[in-house]
Amino acid sequence: MERVVVPATLVRPPTVAFGLGNGLRVILAPLPESPTASVWVWYRVGSKNERPGLTGASHWVEHMLFEGSPRYPKGAIDRAVAEVGGELNAFTDYDFTAYYTTVPREHLEVPLAFEADRMTRARLDDAEVERERTVIRSEREGNENWPEFRVEEEAMALAFRVHPYRWDALGWRRDIERLSPAELRAYYRQYYGPRNATLVVAGGFDARRVASDVRRRFGSLPETGAAVDVPEVEPPAEGERRAELRGPGTTPYLLVAWRAPALDDPATPATLLVDTILGGGSRLFGPAWGSGSGEHPSARLYRALVDPGLAVRATCEWQPRRYPGLFSVAVQAAEGVGFDRLESEIDRVTERLARTGPTSAEMDDARVRLRRGATLAYEGATRTGFRLGYFSTLRDLALEGDLFRRLQAVRAAEVRARARELFRPSQRVVVRYTPTSEARDG
Amino acid sequence: MGEPAGDPLELEYAHGPSDLRLVRQPGPPGTHSVAATFVAPAGWAYDPPRGEATARLAGLLATSGAGGRDRRALARYLDRLGASLSPRVDPESAEVTIWGPAAPWEALLGILADVVLRPRFGPDDLARVRRQLLERQLQDGAQPGHRAEREMLAALFPSGHPYRSTGVGDRASLARIGAASIGRFRRAHFAGPGCMLVVTGPVPLDRLRRVAGRLFAELPSTGPAPPAVPTPRPAPREIRIDLPGTAQVEVRLARVSIARADPTYPAAYLANEILGGSSMLSRLYARVRGRDGLAYHASSQLESMRWGGYWEARVGTGPDRWRRVVPMLREEAGRLVHRPVPSAELATMRESRIGAVRLALESTAEAHELAVDAAYHGLAPDYWRRWPEVLRGLAAEDVRRAAEAAIDPTDAVTVVVGPVGRR
Repeated sequence: MERVVVPATLVRPPTVAFGLGNGLRVILAPLPESPTASVWVWYRVGSKNERPGLTGASHWVEHMLFEGSPRYPKGAIDRAVAEVGGELNAFTDYDFTAYYTTVPREHLEVPLAFEADRMTRARLDDAEVERERTVIRSEREGNENWPEFRVEEEAMALAFRVHPYRWDALGWRRDIERLSPAELRAYYRQYYGPRNATLVVAGGFDARRVASDVRRRFGSLPETGAAVDVPEVEPPAEGERRAELRGPGTTPYLLVAWRAPALDDPATPATLLVDTILGGGSRLFGPAWGSGSGEHPSARLYRALVDPGLAVRATCEWQPRRYPGLFSVAVQAAEGVGFDRLESEIDRVTERLARTGPTSAEMDDARVRLRRGATLAYEGATRTGFRLGYFSTLRDLALEGDLFRRLQAVRAAEVRARARELFRPSQRVVVRYTPTSEARDG
Repeated sequence: MGEPAGDPLELEYAHGPSDLRLVRQPGPPGTHSVAATFVAPAGWAYDPPRGEATARLAGLLATSGAGGRDRRALARYLDRLGASLSPRVDPESAEVTIWGPAAPWEALLGILADVVLRPRFGPDDLARVRRQLLERQLQDGAQPGHRAEREMLAALFPSGHPYRSTGVGDRASLARIGAASIGRFRRAHFAGPGCMLVVTGPVPLDRLRRVAGRLFAELPSTGPAPPAVPTPRPAPREIRIDLPGTAQVEVRLARVSIARADPTYPAAYLANEILGGSSMLSRLYARVRGRDGLAYHASSQLESMRWGGYWEARVGTGPDRWRRVVPMLREEAGRLVHRPVPSAELATMRESRIGAVRLALESTAEAHELAVDAAYHGLAPDYWRRWPEVLRGLAAEDVRRAAEAAIDPTDAVTVVVGPVGRR
């Protein structure tokens, strides 16, 4: 019998959580031996808060927060971090916008100072907004060079007609061309501020001293930033929706997707097991090193599509979100294999799981695989800051441990029932991407 | 398990069986994992004649089974140990890394030894990785970023040079390579001399020596001779490839550059960081993106390897903007060559790069990359500990001179790939 090392409980560092009078939520995770400290600010604003005409605004604002605030003119944040040997970046999602800076532990005050400054007072000057327009257009064009981006964007647009998940966080090109600086400033004023943010600090520091520093720097900020829930609820689809795209690429690329539960839905643990049994892993509890596509040779899709030579890659793509999103199966065809064949195999695999459920060995292996992702999930200040911020922003800190516990208790019959509910043909979206490569050498 | 204290920036070197080089790095404080990499002279420079892609295929097959475990059993065992196995191949070498909890470190090294000495794959596995490489070949032709890299390397390095290709072969070579030739390749290249085992974590050196001695006892004792490396003498030119239907133009400005062992490497590294390195303060980022808004990514990199190297500036920009970008890349690289870097800029970038090493010490995985790099290039055991003083000892003129040797764009090749239209 092979030794099982992965723990049955989630190993997470102790945290200190508190709120400030202006609404800012603060989570401190002291890691006494860490040589670094990582400061994360999570805003509960993302493309879910946008509307047609304003798509891409969250992402654009994210860029602008590096372009000047009262104490940090353009370039000053980058310089301040570089001078102490740190690194920084930011990213925008459907549900949130996150900024992080990791520095040697003795320089923790550097990111705390500029995060407080730009939380409510970023400038968003007209000239800087205009200059950034082409940068953002360029970011979008870079993504468009990949069929995977085009297909996922199309799938979301097909699946959602009411809910703002129907556009990508990069925004529609026509909105990127027309959004005005004044609109961006208004968007920033509406959503940015302590009431809509969580500050996470992880690393080598004394929690009491940092708590006091946080209160001093952030406590006097105005009580701004609206946490706005999305009122739109996507109604069930009245039937399958399909699209066919053509463009540069390698071999046919197929995405089949179904409506999936939100992160805090009671059905999420069973859906994570469906994801793992079919696709090989889960983004929430995936291995931290070389996670790649999440493919696993025991996964049912891999066995049905990659092993017999129908595909070069076959994965499940499910990022549980604040609101119900999409559970996708993505397949890169092997040369000479057509879409119909791939689709019929995907149907066969999903129908079989819905009809007969997983085997007990599959359940055992899937649970171990999901537990494995949590083994070293909290190694390092940066990774710790990410995980704490992610769960607390999408729901609360307790959710991760709760999901982890519930995963262990899910029965095979629940996975079967979940697959039956998930893989309803009427709720399906299919996007086919046919490559049309033709290079002209100059 | 007794945990040895130690500085992760101080490596310990020792010898294992059949001249295998053992390198031990203490784990960073507060970490509880172990990472181990086996490095072999098995990059695609060693692909046999008419067997282009052999190294890549052998690398991809590294996770297809080992010892008594087939692919699924191996994956299941790794899951149970909470570990991951990642192969990597470049022109010069092949690596397999295992990473997982520290407690079962001997079991993890056992897996690595099986992967190295007792690879196991069947005809189905070979067919599968062939299909994957075929798709990668297509990507090298159709995806603008991949295509630009391929064209750039082919323009810089002459036929027969190990850096000329991306190691994926062509349709015919993929079809020719069989299990027997991969087996021969592995036996010849995964052999003691020239190989190394780098371990990061709470593993005492004497125990590592004993365990490695037992696990790798069967390692053959004769390794491959280094390949011939012709001298590259590229002519400056512009290559333009139109890929209709793509959205963004990928631009490369590139030249042949210095090897890692070159004594001016630290100064050239710093020069490249100032020009287009990872910081948002780099000159290319600040001008192309920050000042003129012409691109989302604008950077440069110095690829210094054992047998030589190359330098490239990389920008992804719109079809209406690339013509403005190309001269900017030349100007900025030229400015670095002709004018000393202002002292404030030099100091900031120096501290930024010194800090990057500190940041790497927050996890076993990142610290391990430093150890593999030092071990592969035969650097001193305290190389990374002394790195700050080396960088702080560089003056502006050192950086300028190094840029002259490593980055000067006078004879550089320009590659433009994407929706550029016909000339």
